[in-house]
Amino acid sequence: MSQAIQSKQYEKINAFLVFFIICGCQIGVGIHGFQRVIYKDAKQDAWLSVVLSFILAHIVVFVMFKTLEKFDNLDIYGIQREVFGKILGSFLNFVYVIYCTFAFFAVLKNYIEVVNTWVFPYVNPQFIAIAILLLIVYAVTAGFRVVIGISFFSFFFLLWIPPLLIYPLYFTNINYLLPIMEDIIGILKGAYSMSFTIVGFEILNIVYPYIKDKEKKSAEKYAHFGLLFTFFIYIIIMLITLMYFSGPQLERVIWATLTIFNLIEFPFVERIEIITICAWLLIILPNLCLYLWAAYRGVSSVYNLEIKRFTWIFISIIFIITFFIKTRTQINTMNNYFGKIAFIVVFIYPFILFIFASIKKRRKKGTGDTS
Amino acid sequence: MFNNKKDKKNEQSTNNQQELQEPTKHYTKSELKQTLDTRTKEEFVNLIKDKVSSPADFIVKNINDEITIIYIENLIEVQSLNDNIISTLQSISEPTPQLIKEKLSLAQVDISNKLDVIIYELIGGAALIHTKENADIVVAKISSYQSRSLSAPENESQVIGTQVGFNENLTTNISLIRRFIKSPNLCNENFEVGEDTVTSISLLYLKGTASEEQVNTIRQRIESLDVSGLIDSAILAELIDDSTKTVFPQMLLTERPDRFCDGLLSGKIGIMMNGSSMGIVTPIAFIEFFHSKEDQNLRWQIGTMLRLLRFSAIIASVFLTPIYVAALTYHYEIISHTLIVPLSESRAIVPFPPILEALFLELIIELLREAGSRLPTKVGQTVGIVGGIVIGTAAVDAGITSNILIIFVALSALASFTTPNYVMANIIRFLRFPIIILAGIWGFLGIMIAVCFLLIHLLRLSSLGAPYLSPLYPLRLKDLPNSLIRLPLSNISRQAVNTRKGDDESTNQENNEKVSE
Amino acid sequence: MIKRRVLLYYLCIFLLLFGCADPKILERISLAVLIGYDVESADKVTATVALRSVNQELQSIVSIASQTDETSKGTRIKASLDSTKKIVAGQARVILLGSKLAEAGITQALHTTKMNSEMSSGLYFAIVDGEAGPLIERKYENISDIGQHIFYLLEHNIEEQYTVSSTLHETVRDSYSPFIDLALPLIVQDEDDVHISGLAIFNGDKMVGKLVGNEPFYVVLVKEKYNAGSIQVIIPGAPLKKLSNDIPDQLAIAIDSIFSNRKVKLVNKDTPEFELDIKVEGRVLEIHSSITTEDFNVMEILEKEVEKEFKKEIDKIIKKTQELNSDILGFGEVYKANVGTKNVDKKKWKELYPKIKVNANITVELLRNGVFD
Repeated sequence: MSQAIQSKQYEKINAFLVFFIICGCQIGVGIHGFQRVIYKDAKQDAWLSVVLSFILAHIVVFVMFKTLEKFDNLDIYGIQREVFGKILGSFLNFVYVIYCTFAFFAVLKNYIEVVNTWVFPYVNPQFIAIAILLLIVYAVTAGFRVVIGISFFSFFFLLWIPPLLIYPLYFTNINYLLPIMEDIIGILKGAYSMSFTIVGFEILNIVYPYIKDKEKKSAEKYAHFGLLFTFFIYIIIMLITLMYFSGPQLERVIWATLTIFNLIEFPFVERIEIITICAWLLIILPNLCLYLWAAYRGVSSVYNLEIKRFTWIFISIIFIITFFIKTRTQINTMNNYFGKIAFIVVFIYPFILFIFASIKKRRKKGTGDTS
Repeated sequence: MFNNKKDKKNEQSTNNQQELQEPTKHYTKSELKQTLDTRTKEEFVNLIKDKVSSPADFIVKNINDEITIIYIENLIEVQSLNDNIISTLQSISEPTPQLIKEKLSLAQVDISNKLDVIIYELIGGAALIHTKENADIVVAKISSYQSRSLSAPENESQVIGTQVGFNENLTTNISLIRRFIKSPNLCNENFEVGEDTVTSISLLYLKGTASEEQVNTIRQRIESLDVSGLIDSAILAELIDDSTKTVFPQMLLTERPDRFCDGLLSGKIGIMMNGSSMGIVTPIAFIEFFHSKEDQNLRWQIGTMLRLLRFSAIIASVFLTPIYVAALTYHYEIISHTLIVPLSESRAIVPFPPILEALFLELIIELLREAGSRLPTKVGQTVGIVGGIVIGTAAVDAGITSNILIIFVALSALASFTTPNYVMANIIRFLRFPIIILAGIWGFLGIMIAVCFLLIHLLRLSSLGAPYLSPLYPLRLKDLPNSLIRLPLSNISRQAVNTRKGDDESTNQENNEKVSE
Repeated sequence: MIKRRVLLYYLCIFLLLFGCADPKILERISLAVLIGYDVESADKVTATVALRSVNQELQSIVSIASQTDETSKGTRIKASLDSTKKIVAGQARVILLGSKLAEAGITQALHTTKMNSEMSSGLYFAIVDGEAGPLIERKYENISDIGQHIFYLLEHNIEEQYTVSSTLHETVRDSYSPFIDLALPLIVQDEDDVHISGLAIFNGDKMVGKLVGNEPFYVVLVKEKYNAGSIQVIIPGAPLKKLSNDIPDQLAIAIDSIFSNRKVKLVNKDTPEFELDIKVEGRVLEIHSSITTEDFNVMEILEKEVEKEFKKEIDKIIKKTQELNSDILGFGEVYKANVGTKNVDKKKWKELYPKIKVNANITVELLRNGVFD
């Protein structure tokens, strides 16, 4: 158990913060335009795809916790080394770190793309990237508590979205939702497409050892609550989008949520989407910080690296990659790949890991009994 | 900087008679540590005179052949010297220090043969009584403190509540506090800090209520201070802060004894310093800087309303001008069609971009405020009115600024003054400038970067190890009724979780149970 | 360590100096408030823009720019060459399309507008009966700012539900949807005045006809939930003759504060046949002076007559749209919702629409009258 995280007492967090971590991680850039992708598969039943994918997410979280509970104070990196042995385990850890880096980059790049398209078409994306990356360095180097603190506050920053959605209700047409359950295969496909948007809860794999020991039991409950909350947000947005746009229109709207916000007017301010996009920085911040943190945990399980040094190296790499992915087409291709990888890593792999972990534990127990 | 102040003070106490002094040696406290041996009268007088740099108000008085009194004229109470000491001493025939001590009808009489002790007592305002052939010196403390009488707190005035503020005398201040808290648990630890100023510092806390760990931390921080002079508690607060890189203060300075005692009762630690009318309260959360004692003296509905008003005023104060700059420079789309005509008309002949215009106006407001606060009260008001009206109108007429921005800037200045704490109010005004610049560069995205930076920064801070943003993060449900809002007193727990003793684990555990309910 | 920190400061300063976004300072730009598109020749479009900017005398002035090019952005670039200020479209409120352009197809104009992230989804579309250019360019005696004028004209009428809502979002939504056809407000220039004359109705993206007079009211009544506005209906006076001899043959009655609820049901998939239930509640605001509405029977008769009149008008409109094959009332959406997307597509619905049967059932309830009987 050399891999067990002996995190300091003050770095341990309360279980209820898991709720905020889940919300902070799941709601990111995907929410700006996930509707179109799912609509293409599932048509007017896209909301059923959302329901389906969240049911799957709940199952995955359940399995994740079952796996984590088997190894008391280990995160996924420790578990992988424990279960698959040193070489294969380290390789898988490496893959997981790459996944986290990929996720980090996808979130960052998508956000910058939105800013570039809607708000500042002439600002060099690299400048925005530097600014955001510096913010992240400042946050992550302060330690885990600060990272969780950001996701805590960003949750409250999310709460103004549901009230805003009352306005577009005026333009909705319930007929666009009918008929229900037309194409089951399409719905399943849609649920698969949803994976890019709803990933984020896999961060539990890394956060788990940081939860206070006494409260580890209740953490699962809060994780499910967190999923329910994001489900609530996603389903509302999805339903409103489906009723707000006509089908062929939705297929051509790239950022449907922002397009909805576009119409909202107040007596003194219009074009809420511009404010929303800028304000979204605070909402993607926990996303980025937690992915960076996850990558750091993975690297630090192999090399003894200081968080400060790692963060600088990490953001330098990210910054260099931003030079290579520039056009919308490249970003879309990246998103497609990421969606596929995310589906495997987040939705399929936990089951595999669970099976192997159970076998390993049983065998160990078995040998323990005979000796 | 400290040395200048120190000199000034020394000059005052020695009546500015520098020219009479011979260039004497500079003594440090440790060098004075020696035990006196038996000396004759002359030897003793010369020794002391040399050690205290032979000031002009140094008085040597011979009662008779055997008894000599040494004191510094300006530091003692002459009445007491005449009535209690001289008359008594004259009646004593065979004086020994013991006898004198018994005979003197004074509360504070000591006997000492330590040179450093008697020197510092002499400077502190005691009369030294030397008896022939004796190494022991009688120290009769009859110091006279010139202190102003207690008056209403000027910087933290409030309508309802105690109308008394601290003054510069530590003894008076401690007695004020003792009047509020008559608990035997009130601990008062004394420290003397500063090589030259030898400032007395009192560390006050309620035993059993304040966290032992935090008391130890603060004790250690004070003890490890190594400064030559310490003039005000604001400086002390900066010296013992958690982080000095930030603009945010992590200790509350207050001149209100009720606020101070309120802090003590909720488990905070108070520090009083001689010569300063400000007490330090620590640990303190960010939110508490925006609390006024008055919120608690009013009914809770009104108190809540006032607090919410204040918090929204602060947010407006920080973000109003930046939003103006951002909207007019980059995001003309978001301005509603009813506003866009007046806005663009008001800026039609302004030659600068909004960012320069805003910085210029903010600077004017800051100048007015600074000039007003440096001048005597009566002149200060005139400056404010003349500056505000004349410059404001002229600037608009000359087309340097738009009148809508003037409203915004004036509003945000006004809003910043709602902060009850002067130090924090300054910071609120200071914060605006970098945010305006960011807004002028990246519009709303710039403002958002500033918001994120501020949030991370505040999350990183701690006050005496306690999180700065509590009770919001970490969430302390028990403290929430008295944070952004103020609920009825029955809902407010007496003691803030931040300062609760015992380890963090147990307090959070309790919280968590509350959450899961 | 300190060196690194200094480096960081330099990085920040560098960021601030060179990362600066492109400013669009309010008084240094020309805001396009009203944009009008006309067809010039086969593939050329003329854009006429009402620009608002401020002059040195602190007044906002309106200027007109007109250019012809293949794309609307191309016209904007050309217009920019004439303008002293940068032209931006983020505050555009209304887009007018000439009727010739509308007859040729509006998809391109819609797509251009929608693709530009500057444009608000809330701007209004309207069709000009005639050409948009001259309407915008004309110097009116009573209208100082034509852009503002047309915007308020549309906004207020849409709010009062005198005409259908035609925001960019709704226009795009309906034009992209295969099962509904567009109806846009029709604006006409009449000497020195501009007013809404009715509705332009579309088949696909081509304008095929117009509805004038009272007809837009009934379109709104069928399409939307009504909670504003008023209507004047003319009913035959005959049934009320017994009350008083003064009653004329044609009785005008004004109903106001109208609330309506409508429901469309598909009753027969094959024909297809629809059941249209509309429930209207309103208050009598104006009626012939000889009728006192105190009488229960009178009210009932009035309600009956108004119902008849409503039904007649609605049937007329449906028939007219069927002739033009323009499903502006959105029966196709209901049909699709019932039979599923697989069984109907745009082409099939276009074939079906002229054949559909709609049974309109209208209930009118006159809740109250004014303060004087």
